[in-house]
Amino acid sequence: MESSEEVRNWLDLPGDVLSLVFSKLGVFDVLFNVQNVCSSWRKFCKEPLVWLAIDLRYPWPDMDIDLEKVARHAIDRSCGQLVEFSVDYICTDELLRYITERSCPLRCLRLMSCHRVTDDGLIEVVNGLPLLEELDLSYCCTFSNKVLEVIGCSCPHLKTFKLNSRRFRNSDVEWDEEAFTIAGCMPELRNLQLLGNQLTDDGLRAILDGCPHLESLDLRQCFNVNLGGELQKRCADAIRCLSLPNDFDYCEIDPNAHGYETVDEDYPSGFSEVDFLSDDVYYEFSDGNDLSDYGEFVF
Amino acid sequence: MASSSSSLPSPSSSSSSSSSKKLVLRSSDEKHFEVDEAVALQSEMIKQMVEDGFGGDVIPLLNVSSNILSKVIDYCKKHVDFDSKKKMDDRRRWDAEYIDVGVDELYHLIMAANYRNIKGLLDLTCQKVADTIKGKKPKQIRIIFNIKNDVTPEGEQKIRKEHSWAFE
Repeated sequence: MESSEEVRNWLDLPGDVLSLVFSKLGVFDVLFNVQNVCSSWRKFCKEPLVWLAIDLRYPWPDMDIDLEKVARHAIDRSCGQLVEFSVDYICTDELLRYITERSCPLRCLRLMSCHRVTDDGLIEVVNGLPLLEELDLSYCCTFSNKVLEVIGCSCPHLKTFKLNSRRFRNSDVEWDEEAFTIAGCMPELRNLQLLGNQLTDDGLRAILDGCPHLESLDLRQCFNVNLGGELQKRCADAIRCLSLPNDFDYCEIDPNAHGYETVDEDYPSGFSEVDFLSDDVYYEFSDGNDLSDYGEFVF
Repeated sequence: MASSSSSLPSPSSSSSSSSSKKLVLRSSDEKHFEVDEAVALQSEMIKQMVEDGFGGDVIPLLNVSSNILSKVIDYCKKHVDFDSKKKMDDRRRWDAEYIDVGVDELYHLIMAANYRNIKGLLDLTCQKVADTIKGKKPKQIRIIFNIKNDVTPEGEQKIRKEHSWAFE
């Protein structure tokens, strides 16, 4: 039985199927491992299809690599067809500009814990991304309401917006401005995550009024929300997947419901979103994945 | 249950509603499988054939063996059911169990899903391959998929030099 037939088998997979497999992997896996398996796989790793969704989120390989250069290289490989870009920590205004300068038809942008991205940088990038349907700005620095307004104006197709934060630690501060701005300028939202937000029942009411198509709403750790009066019933009637302030688990909607065909996970494998709550700075990985040994790296 | 001339080894069809239209699929080893039309139409290829007015009684699937076809039909049947009920957790759990197969079977499922153009199954099988690859070094990947490295050490050295840009 052995080898020759099986060797031929896996190498005989049609190129578009191999590209589909590789497109489901993160940048580091493709660049540092997969494309070094054999010359045929190396060839298919260069297909733009593999790079339509770029995921540069932690964990990064334990090597002295310039992550921003790797990001630019990955963006180049998408040949202007980039649809989904996910990054944490390392993103800068310059990197975002690199994407918009290439006129990518980006529909999903996830910038988590990217503290170096500024108001101006974000305004510039969303102005250049009119097709955006999903935007995740969780755990970044606090952006001004002006930024939220520009997002609303520039991205009329925005359906998923995530603005999770750790501000629940100052829950004695009541702050509805963000909620009012979202309600006023993002009427097409289907999914909204505001974990740890300081909004009150007033802000929530505004969101229900302003975003009539909302299907999922994450209010975990929003301890200023009391759901007083008719509000709880109104939420339950209007929102299919509702996560309340004291909930632990996130009520999830079908991740395949969005239109763009890309990787569907929200966070890297082995990592639950709730882990954010227990750790200030670094992710915790439950699968003990040892990525410290990227032995062979050839681009 | 309508019957074709050969035996019907399929585990499918007994639970289906008797009123719905049936199609018969024939595997490469000449086994016949009778399935509800809705199940068969999960395959874009078969859907196209039906829309184009394919007139035969039996749809031949030349590249798919009976054991793989049986497994593919299981997937399509289950997903017709899921599509009508929309239970995400159930679907995920079922998919995870379904795709817990060895690399040989995985290969044949991918080929069948690709050939018959069943998007959900192609996605599921490709995701399984990607999950298998994830975090592994080239040497480990070659062993799992029994792939021979055809790049010489000199070739690797050359490529490495060309791409030193990434390193600080």
